[in-house]
Amino acid sequence: MIRKRFLGLLVALTAVVFSFGQGAYSFKFNEIVVSNTNGLVDEYGDRSAWIEIANTAWGTNNIRSCYLTTNRAAMDESLSVPERIKLMSLIPKGDERTNVGAQQRIVFFADGRTNMGTVHTNFILKPGEENFIALFDGNGHSLIDSITVPPMAENQSYARVYDSKTEDYVWVVLNADEVTAGGPNVGQGKVQDKIEEFKEKDPHGFAMSIMAMCIVFGCLASLYIFFRIFGAIVVYVSKLAQTGGVRFVTKQVDKAAVMAKQGMETQGVDMKVYMAVIAMALHEYDEDVHDVESNVLTFNNEEHTEWNAKGHTMREWPELFF
Amino acid sequence: MEIFDFIGTKFADFLTYTGFANAELGNWIMILVGAFFLWLAIKKDFEPLLLIPIGLGIILGNIPFKSVGLEIGLYEDHSVLNIFYQGVKTGWYPPLVFLGIGAMTDFSALIANPKLLLVGASAQFGIFGAYMIALALGFEPAQAAGIAIIGGADGPTAIFLSSKLAPNLMGAIAVCAYSYMALVPVLQPPLMRLLTTKKERLIRMKPTREVSQTEKIIFPIVGLLMTTFIVPSGLPLLGMLFFGNLLKESTKTTRLAKTAGNALNDIIVMLLGLTVGCSTQASEFLTLDTIKIFALGAFAFIIATASGVLFVKFFNLFLPAHKKINPLIGNAGVSAVPMAARISHNIGLEYDSKNYLLMHAMGPNVAGVIGSAVAAGVLLGFLS
Repeated sequence: MIRKRFLGLLVALTAVVFSFGQGAYSFKFNEIVVSNTNGLVDEYGDRSAWIEIANTAWGTNNIRSCYLTTNRAAMDESLSVPERIKLMSLIPKGDERTNVGAQQRIVFFADGRTNMGTVHTNFILKPGEENFIALFDGNGHSLIDSITVPPMAENQSYARVYDSKTEDYVWVVLNADEVTAGGPNVGQGKVQDKIEEFKEKDPHGFAMSIMAMCIVFGCLASLYIFFRIFGAIVVYVSKLAQTGGVRFVTKQVDKAAVMAKQGMETQGVDMKVYMAVIAMALHEYDEDVHDVESNVLTFNNEEHTEWNAKGHTMREWPELFF
Repeated sequence: MEIFDFIGTKFADFLTYTGFANAELGNWIMILVGAFFLWLAIKKDFEPLLLIPIGLGIILGNIPFKSVGLEIGLYEDHSVLNIFYQGVKTGWYPPLVFLGIGAMTDFSALIANPKLLLVGASAQFGIFGAYMIALALGFEPAQAAGIAIIGGADGPTAIFLSSKLAPNLMGAIAVCAYSYMALVPVLQPPLMRLLTTKKERLIRMKPTREVSQTEKIIFPIVGLLMTTFIVPSGLPLLGMLFFGNLLKESTKTTRLAKTAGNALNDIIVMLLGLTVGCSTQASEFLTLDTIKIFALGAFAFIIATASGVLFVKFFNLFLPAHKKINPLIGNAGVSAVPMAARISHNIGLEYDSKNYLLMHAMGPNVAGVIGSAVAAGVLLGFLS
């Protein structure tokens, strides 16, 4: 029962732990244009403010059923979930575009026209002003990401870019010619940068070889050190056990002789039988199949064994049912 | 008459679909290469388990056909071969092969004499030596890394890494890796003789101690933790290798270990070999790059073997007389299991008929498997 409870607890704990790493929490605001007069057009050819959201995970995630909002009141935890949801724009289900691939992006048009499709929100962004935008999970109260966009000029974007100095992402205002709707922002194509860096700084591969060999050696050397020490401990312990075992067996032989003598005197059993029993027990002990307790020889004085038990050869007495 | 015209037209049309009508010189050359692989495997007994699927795959992949959307070619979406090929392309066959390797490998020799791990590590220099040469030949760093891994002498690792870093060269890299693995008995012995003295070849190593079951169980767990914490990018290969080994050594999952080591491994090896062979279509394979890759592969093997042997000689300088290692086991640092270890053993016996090196050589051999997977993880981490 305890074991079942433990297993249940373990499964529940695992489920809770894994639920933290799932889905929508990988989405991050990536680039926002508030005043779009010369850039991206929607599927109807119209231009409006847009919000780009990136899936920062290395697996596909679906943003359906999440909520976007520009209303700070939606952050008020004193409000009930239905009240908060009323202040948000739902990202509908049933559109394949909401399934965002690994490291890919989705663009929403903040044009206040949700009737125009999945990627249109029920709010607009205000040009020339500060805009707050938040993304909520489908439960309507867990905040996934939020951003405050500063006032910007026409066609400028507020973008999350990789800063190689701090090795982290920072938000910057990009000029119209640097805007990348639906594409990676500056510094987000890090893979290519890494290879270019190797090409530039290590054209002959010496640095790579030295680093990589150090890591390979480090890995295997750490295993060597561990098993060198562990092996030495195992050898020491087994030697100790062996020595103890021999001493123990010697004592047992003395005891066995006394037992055999006593048995013969009191029970009248042949000494050969006693010796066979003791030899068998010692053999089992030696072969590590003596399963009762380590360092203790156990003899069960049974009337019969499986070989001669008459009970096993008999049929059950028939019962009358009428 | 009309019916005969119809039959004539259709028959002529049919002829345009046949392999004879669509064959180019490259197809015939590749079919001959496939036949050569089959000959090596069947007649010369060179790694038949690998070379028969690869050889037939080369022939299969080079049967010419008119591409009209019949979904039959390896590179055509939804074809049966394309579905099988996904395991190579997306790199999930190699970890499954590693699962099987783990389930079949006995790490006792390594646990009993852990300093042999360092021999396995030293042989990985073949990979990085080849990386430098590949860069000098004008390959991009990612391509160079994909090619260099041939030096690890580990087919699944080569396929895994090249599928990630150099997918366009994967066919050539895989065929090259497996070819040289099959040719280990030809490539290594002359080099081993060249780099060792007769006195060194006669070194007798002490029999290894018996390893307890507890140690065998702890090895995959500690091995997994230590290697993947240092090189998490090697997780797919190392994780499956140690998982397979734990299935075997735990003694509680013998059934699973048997399946992983036998049935599952056989299925994956068949599909892997066949599709890798198929991927060598003449148009993709018969290029100057392929020749360079084969040349680099040979270099990588030579460097790996030499560095393993030389490292043992260097190591012996610091070891007491009774603990010296026979440098003939240095070649086994490449992870061609168990061929490389068998070569150490056979050459050892040539010089001393009572010097049995097999169990000693298995140490660096299985260390080489771990080492090449770690090296692949390092390259993947740096370049992807």
